[in-house]
Amino acid sequence: MAVPEEQQLYARWLDVASRVGLAVLAAMFLVYVFKLVPAHVPVEDLPALWTLPLEQYLEQTGAPTGWGWLTLLGRGEYLSLIGVTILCLATLLCYVRLVIALVAKGDRLYAAIAAAQIVVLCVAALGFLAGGH
Amino acid sequence: MSGAATALAIGGLFFSGAALAAEPGAAVAWWWWPVGLFLVSFALGVLAVLGGIGGGVLFVPLVGGFFPFHLDFVRGAGLLLALSGALSAAPRLLRSGLASLRLAAPLALVGSITSIVGALIGFALPVEFVQTALGFTILAIAALMWLGGKDDRPRVGSQDPLSAALKLHGLYDDPASGRVEWRVHRTPAALAAFAGIGVLAGMFGLGAGWANVPVLNLLMGAPLKLSVGTSGLLLTVIDTSAAWVYLHRGAVLPMLVAPTVIGVMLGAKIGARLLRVAPTHYVRRAAIALLVIAGVRSALKGLGIWT
Repeated sequence: MAVPEEQQLYARWLDVASRVGLAVLAAMFLVYVFKLVPAHVPVEDLPALWTLPLEQYLEQTGAPTGWGWLTLLGRGEYLSLIGVTILCLATLLCYVRLVIALVAKGDRLYAAIAAAQIVVLCVAALGFLAGGH
Repeated sequence: MSGAATALAIGGLFFSGAALAAEPGAAVAWWWWPVGLFLVSFALGVLAVLGGIGGGVLFVPLVGGFFPFHLDFVRGAGLLLALSGALSAAPRLLRSGLASLRLAAPLALVGSITSIVGALIGFALPVEFVQTALGFTILAIAALMWLGGKDDRPRVGSQDPLSAALKLHGLYDDPASGRVEWRVHRTPAALAAFAGIGVLAGMFGLGAGWANVPVLNLLMGAPLKLSVGTSGLLLTVIDTSAAWVYLHRGAVLPMLVAPTVIGVMLGAKIGARLLRVAPTHYVRRAAIALLVIAGVRSALKGLGIWT
């Protein structure tokens, strides 16, 4: 077969994760934009705020950084971030599955490369380098 | 639909969205902004497919240059846009063998580390500097697209030791030419190139297909179709790493990201349907011209000449 089995597996996982992420992003955005739940920053105020540099925006809105938005999940804009987070987690999930497949196959070199990639993605996802916790 | 009608429709959508952007913030209702962004993103999605240019590379300079959103938020949205598009396309490319996970994995590891560094640099530098550097980078990309060559099936002699150790070779089935056997070389140089690509992708929020494909195709010697497919897979990893930095910094605004992602993806679907009838050669030239305008605008805005 031209396409390795672990690549097919990776494709299946990526397909599911990205579809779920996009669907959640679109659905939650509708909830946000049609004001079905209250927003942390009223949408009417946004045009005066999104022109500001990031630091000033955060200062004026009290918007959280890092994973702090999880405490505001009842707010419209942070519901939408669930979809964004799923999209960002998709590759990490696929790599975890990939390492398992590569170890089972006995491909130690690529299992090590994939494991290193997981470490990089975890460091990024945990927010240690981004200055937000 | 004729080629001219296609071009007019794309232009109409883009300028109707951009016209909304021309009005200062408080003068229009808030909902005009996501609508305008959706229209522009939709037009860019069509243009990106027909012109063979990534949506992110058009989105960041155009929206950063002509919309009132701060560049920090535009870069965040641009990165998510490139990531979403790549995530949607990658599974099909992987299943068909037109993307190689084996080829992508080592390059993605290097690119993802440096994309995090690039994102951090982008937040540390003054916005005027980032805007100016973005403008000049976009102009360089436009020149690369205008002048750059490509090779459907490059000849690869013997593999270097690293390429051989990583077993960077394989097969894929091409409907046009049957089963294609490939192998690559110059992997150390490609790893260095991807280190630079990662920095640019993270710093400016650009998808990096414009750089991935030439490195894979012309430097490493991968067949063009495999290079294009693997480039999409690389974007899913490299852009994810940088996207986390933007998300944690608070630079991902759903009001910008969602209309952008939805607009570009719908536009890309329409673009794919128009591929058979649209004059892609002219559309690509128009897209490059748009890149030049966006690059000049971005550079002049950053330099304080055209604010």
